[in-house]
Amino acid sequence: MTARDTALARDTALTWARARSAGPLRVPAGTPAPAGMIKLPDAGGAEPGGPGPASPASAWLVPRVPETADARVLAEMGLPGPLLEQPNDTARMLAAVLRCCWEDPLAPVWPGVSAGSGPVLAVFREVTGPRDDAAHRRAAVAALRRLDQAGWARWDEPAGTVRLGPRVALWSSGDLATLRQLWRSIQAPERTSAIPALQPGAPEAAGPASPPEPAR
Amino acid sequence: MADGQTVQPGLDDLAGEAAVLRIYRQAFAVLAREAEKMILTPQLLDVDEAIFRAFAASGSDGLTEEQVRNACRRFPEATVGRRFEVLRAYGAITKVFERPNERYYRAAFAPYIMLLFLRRIAERGGQSELHELLSMEHRNVSAPAATAADGQAAAARLTQVFRLIANELSIMSLGGEVAQLRENAQLLWGNEALITRAEEVHTVVLQRWPALDRECQWLRSGLAAYRDAIDAAAARLIERAGTTRALGLLPAEEWRTFARTASTERLGAVLDSFVFDAPAPWFDPQAMTEAVESGGQPDTTRIPPPRPATDGPGPDTGGLNSTGGLNNTGPPDQDGARIAAEDLLGPSRSAEVADLMRAAPDWAGARRVLAQMTAAHHDPALPYILTWDEALDAAGGGAGAPAWVTHGQFRRITP
Repeated sequence: MTARDTALARDTALTWARARSAGPLRVPAGTPAPAGMIKLPDAGGAEPGGPGPASPASAWLVPRVPETADARVLAEMGLPGPLLEQPNDTARMLAAVLRCCWEDPLAPVWPGVSAGSGPVLAVFREVTGPRDDAAHRRAAVAALRRLDQAGWARWDEPAGTVRLGPRVALWSSGDLATLRQLWRSIQAPERTSAIPALQPGAPEAAGPASPPEPAR
Repeated sequence: MADGQTVQPGLDDLAGEAAVLRIYRQAFAVLAREAEKMILTPQLLDVDEAIFRAFAASGSDGLTEEQVRNACRRFPEATVGRRFEVLRAYGAITKVFERPNERYYRAAFAPYIMLLFLRRIAERGGQSELHELLSMEHRNVSAPAATAADGQAAAARLTQVFRLIANELSIMSLGGEVAQLRENAQLLWGNEALITRAEEVHTVVLQRWPALDRECQWLRSGLAAYRDAIDAAAARLIERAGTTRALGLLPAEEWRTFARTASTERLGAVLDSFVFDAPAPWFDPQAMTEAVESGGQPDTTRIPPPRPATDGPGPDTGGLNSTGGLNNTGPPDQDGARIAAEDLLGPSRSAEVADLMRAAPDWAGARRVLAQMTAAHHDPALPYILTWDEALDAAGGGAGAPAWVTHGQFRRITP
C-alpha cells in the first residue's frame, strides 16, 4: 500500500465519520467522492431566489449504504430506527416540499427547484386537513426544522424558501415510482401570491389575533 | 520465643533470642507514639528522623539530651522530648555508658533503617518492597549454599504474602465500597510482574528441591488466588466504570480537576475517538403516501363509550334482585326499576327523598336507594319522577345518613 493509498483511506474514513456525525457534507466541487458516497452537484446558486451562501462550486457528499444495511432493514426486522417526533406531520411536510420543489416528476428528484414557503405551507395545509391556524403554523415550522436538520429539505428561514435536501437522492427508482404517484395525488399549489409566506420572525405560536387569514 | 517444651534452650540460644528481641524493639521504636501505642502522624516520623540525624552528626562522643533538643529546635520541644523518651524506652537510644548520671547517649542503627523502609512504603505503597523481596528470595534460593530449608522458608513467606494480598483484595471486591477498592488500587498495579517473579522463585525451588513439592503447590495456589482476586477486583472496578461512562477508574475529583485545569484543546481531545451518530430518519415513500392519505381526516376519532347491548335507555338501573343484592348479572330491565320504585313508594303517591334514604340500613344502602330513584326517574317508560328543592339543610334530622340534605320528592305520576 503506497502512502497515497494510505492517505486516501484515511480521508475516506474521516469523511465517513464526519458524515455520520453531521449528516450530508457540503464540500468544494473538486473534492473526489470517497468510496460509498455519492456526490451531488449543488445547484443552489443557479436558482433565482435560491439560498444565498450556496454557490455552484460546491457539492454534497451523501453516504449511501447498501440496501442490505440501511434503514429499510430496521423496518424489516421490526427494530426501532432513529426516533422522529410527529412522524406523520413530518412525512406530510416532506410530501408537500416534494410536490413544490420537484417540478417535473419525470426528471431526477435532485436538485429540484426552490419554492417559497407560502406554497409549501398551502400544500401542507391541503394534506393535513383542517386545523387551527396557529397549530398549523406550529406544525409546519416544526416539521420543516426536523427535515432541515436531517438533510431531507433545506429551509432558508430568513429568505423564506424551501428546497429539497441532498438525502432525497438516496431514494431508489422503485421509491421514485411510488413518489410520482404521490406527487400526482397532491394538488398543485396555486401560483398566486395570495398565500402568506412563513415570514421570518413571525411568531409560530401566534395567538388568535394574528394573521387575518380567510377561513377555510 | 518460649517454645522450650521439647528442648531446654541453652544459654547461647537465650542470648540469641534476647538479641533478636532487642533489635525488634529498637526497630519498632520509631513506630511507637508513646509506649504501647502506634504512631499516628507522619510528623512524628520527621521528629524521629531529626533525632537520628543529630546523632549521626555527633560523632563518637554521643549527645546529651539537651544537645538533641537543640539540634531539633525546629520542632516543638515537648514533642522532641516525648519522642526522645519513647526511643529511649524502646532501647533505640541508650546511654553511652550504663551508669547513673551518665549524660551522653548513643543511637542504634536499626530504627533508622526501619524509618527508611517506612518512608519508602509510604511513597510507593509497598509494591517495590515486594519486588525487592521477590528478587531477594530469588537470589537466596539460587545461591549455591542454599539448603532445602531456605527454599521451604522462601516458599512459605511468598505464599503468605500473596495469600494476604489476595484475601485483602477479594474481601474488598466482594463486599467493600468501590471507593475503598479504588484507593487500594495500587495492590492491582504491576501484578503481572509480581506473579512472574514469584513463579521464577517457585521454579527454582521446585527444580532444586523436588521434595518441596507440597510447599510449591501452596505457593502456586496462593498465586492463583492472587490472580483471581485481581480479576475480581478489576471486574468490579470496570463494572462500576461502565455505569459512569468509563470515567470511574479515577476518582471523580481527579476528573473535576482535569476539567477545571485543562485547555479547550485537551478537553476536546477527550472526545476525539468518539463518533456521534447524526440521527437521520428515513422516509419511506410508502409511509409518506399513507401519511398524506390519512391527512384529510382528523387524527383523533372519538370512540363512543360502550353501551349495553339492549336498547334500554339510561344507565344501569341497579335494581334489586330477590335476595336484596345488586342485580348485576341479569339484563337491566324496567321491571327491576319498577319493582324497586314500588317498594320505595309503597301505597303512598309521593315520598320525601331524605326519609327514604334514612330508612336504609347504612350509607351504601342509602346510596343504592338514591340510585334506584334516579334510574326510575330517568326511564321515560316508567311513571316516576324525582323533583328537587332549591335549599340545602345542614344536619337535618340528626341521626340520619345524609347530614346535608336537599329536600326532594319522589313521586308516582298518575295519568
